Amino acid sequence: MRLFELGERIAKVHESLVTLPELAENTDVRAVLLDIADDPAALKPYLNRLELVVLRFPIFRDGRVFTQARELREYLRFSGEIRAEGHVLPDQAAFLKRCGVDSVVLPDGSDPALWERQLSRFPVAYQRSVLPSRPVGAGLRVEEGT
Amino acid sequence: MSVPVGHYQYDQIDRDFLDARIAEFSEQVARRIDGTLTEDEFKPLRLMNGLYLQLHAYMLRIAIPYGTIDSKQMRMFAYIARRYDRDYGHFTTRQNIQFNWIKLEETPDILRDLARVDMHAIQTSGNCIRNVTSDEFAGAAADELVDPRIHAEILRQWSTLHPEFTFLPRKFKIAISGSPNDRVAARFHDIGILARPGDDGRTVFRIFVGGGLGRTPIIGQEIFDAVPEERLLATLEAIVRVYNAHGRRDNIYKARIKILVQALGIDAYREAVEAELAQMDLEHYRLTPDMVDAIQARFAVPTLSAPGNPAQELANKRRENPEFDLWVRSNTHPHRDAGHIIAVVSLKPAGGIPGDATSAQMDRLADLADEYSFGELRITHLQNIVLGHVRQDRLYDLWTSLKEVDLASANIGLIGDIVACPGLDYCALANARSIPIAQKLGARFGDASLQAEIGALRINISGCINACGHHHAGHIGLLGVDKRGEEFFQITLGGRAENGASIGTILGPALPEDDTVDAIARLVDRYLGMREKGETFLDTLDRLGDAPFKEAAYETV
Amino acid sequence: MKRAVRVGTDEKLVLTANRLLDGVIVWRDRLGQWRPHIGVAEKLDAEQVAPVLELAQARAQADGVVGVYEVAVKDVEPPEPVTVRERIRAYGPTVHPEFAVETVQ
Repeated sequence: MRLFELGERIAKVHESLVTLPELAENTDVRAVLLDIADDPAALKPYLNRLELVVLRFPIFRDGRVFTQARELREYLRFSGEIRAEGHVLPDQAAFLKRCGVDSVVLPDGSDPALWERQLSRFPVAYQRSVLPSRPVGAGLRVEEGT
Repeated sequence: MSVPVGHYQYDQIDRDFLDARIAEFSEQVARRIDGTLTEDEFKPLRLMNGLYLQLHAYMLRIAIPYGTIDSKQMRMFAYIARRYDRDYGHFTTRQNIQFNWIKLEETPDILRDLARVDMHAIQTSGNCIRNVTSDEFAGAAADELVDPRIHAEILRQWSTLHPEFTFLPRKFKIAISGSPNDRVAARFHDIGILARPGDDGRTVFRIFVGGGLGRTPIIGQEIFDAVPEERLLATLEAIVRVYNAHGRRDNIYKARIKILVQALGIDAYREAVEAELAQMDLEHYRLTPDMVDAIQARFAVPTLSAPGNPAQELANKRRENPEFDLWVRSNTHPHRDAGHIIAVVSLKPAGGIPGDATSAQMDRLADLADEYSFGELRITHLQNIVLGHVRQDRLYDLWTSLKEVDLASANIGLIGDIVACPGLDYCALANARSIPIAQKLGARFGDASLQAEIGALRINISGCINACGHHHAGHIGLLGVDKRGEEFFQITLGGRAENGASIGTILGPALPEDDTVDAIARLVDRYLGMREKGETFLDTLDRLGDAPFKEAAYETV
Repeated sequence: MKRAVRVGTDEKLVLTANRLLDGVIVWRDRLGQWRPHIGVAEKLDAEQVAPVLELAQARAQADGVVGVYEVAVKDVEPPEPVTVRERIRAYGPTVHPEFAVETVQ
């Protein structure tokens, strides 16, 4: 498994990863794999002990992952690591980062250089995201990062 | 003309962003060509940048935000038509332009040429928030309350490479109008927005959600009556977030927001949106007056001055020249300034291809825009071109110039102003050709006085159930179907996209192409015979129902 | 896209695709080359088509084509597609006679 870090947070490997239904019985587990159809709000009772939430793309076109990540960050104020895995493209790197995803399990054969390039591609954004930002010029535009 | 009016002026920051987007797309094309990206992976990426693979070649759809361009941009379209295509382009019902004979390997060059005039193809296709459409008379119409283009531009920017909403279940279309007379078909959009002035001097928005045509035509329902400006982006984020999380992804025909709104009911959808808003940090999403004013400041406005008595001069010319008078009747709209008028240039010559323009016509239109309308042009959702600010005493000269290049058809809003999708001649999805029957109908009713006599009547033609020709919303709608390899057309009556939007009802069994043209001719004759004084086709239809029209249409079949 | 192609009596199948680089419609000849004229397309029997189609699809990237599928044609010379759609693909848009495609080179 090759991990690619989208931001500054260091990706951490966890021994055990359980699904949402398994989380209740495994009180010592720190990492959960959310199904694409799971509602992140179901993680509420476990947020204090969770260090990692893994979101899985069944196919790169399934954009629910972006909303799941954003709900975790914005609504649940989850401060641990969010990771994406499954069928995901480097072209999605900045979108993932801006929705609060910290790391990606690189699909086989995926070139980290492409991921890297995608992260620094756009100098500004036209809408705010979960990342800290400063306005650039006038209007909606922001520059992101710390 | 130094600063073009009517659209947002880019600065270096915007241009750098566009350059980065082109570099990204160029690399995606290179990865597709070398095989790193499969066609299945590349397809959504190229669509997000307006590039389709159609029947004969690639097709590139270029964004015309809120339908407004300047003469330099129009000349660039002409250049692209000559340099990269077959000397023409096609203006679409979503106010964009598309080119039909594009090569994949040349698209990065085309995008670089477009960027030289601050244009792009971003989000003109794909399952994302598409180019925002607006009122073709924005900022000019006498009946307007608020110029919707400022907020249309805000929505364009907000939706551009939105991190959360670029892989939605299906395409997502937003239209915004600032007039009580809906000219954007607000209730046939995923989100339709009607802007009006609020008590505090800021704009408020009435929002409809879940409308659309396609294979399941549904009229949008009101989700909020009065969203304050500072909550506009938060509200849209919430509406789209609910859709992204819960819209169906198992069946592309049930994936639009309209299906979700129908499944949940509008009240439950509203509650879901309110639940999102309750959890959101509204300050984070706040659209501040400063932001709006800063964007508004990038819109140059025309300095309208019409000394003398232009209205009188126009009246005189109309009296002298009945042909000109006929054109003025159908092809103009009142301007907010007494000395000015809005002129609509028809791209529907009798027997022509609706919405097509050659590079020579585009160049000429650009010249006329410079000469008569502050260099500004608008593309209408009925595939015509608007010159928004013409001095009344110069309208006759404009008309004379239009006549010279065959662009003076007097048929706006009349039976010759046909909307048709590209159909099977170009489109990979179509079941039947739309253009040939449009040409036949256009020729049949080509005479300007006959059209004036028939009055307001819209024909919309779609070559398949996806309804890109909006046949459900046509007063007369035609849907092409395939019957064992032969093209047939199903007739619907009574659709309308304006205020009081409704969906047309099917008249009877589908007919072959030529029989359909004859049936429509008989149906129109029947209307002319039965109408009472002052009645339009829709009025007569509403009064009598479709039985007499059905009888006329199927008389000899 | 999967299409169920029904083949009538006196009908054959030919393979078609678009060229990746420029989108031009191409037809597969009997040497396995992709060429822009239906007149040179190899006509296959319904029973023959599956392995040829599978091979052509597997080679699509290497051959520089995209969207390989089979089209029913009348068994005449040059082959003539059965459906309106495929006739338009083979001969060009009906509304622009000046863009007509020649059937044979």
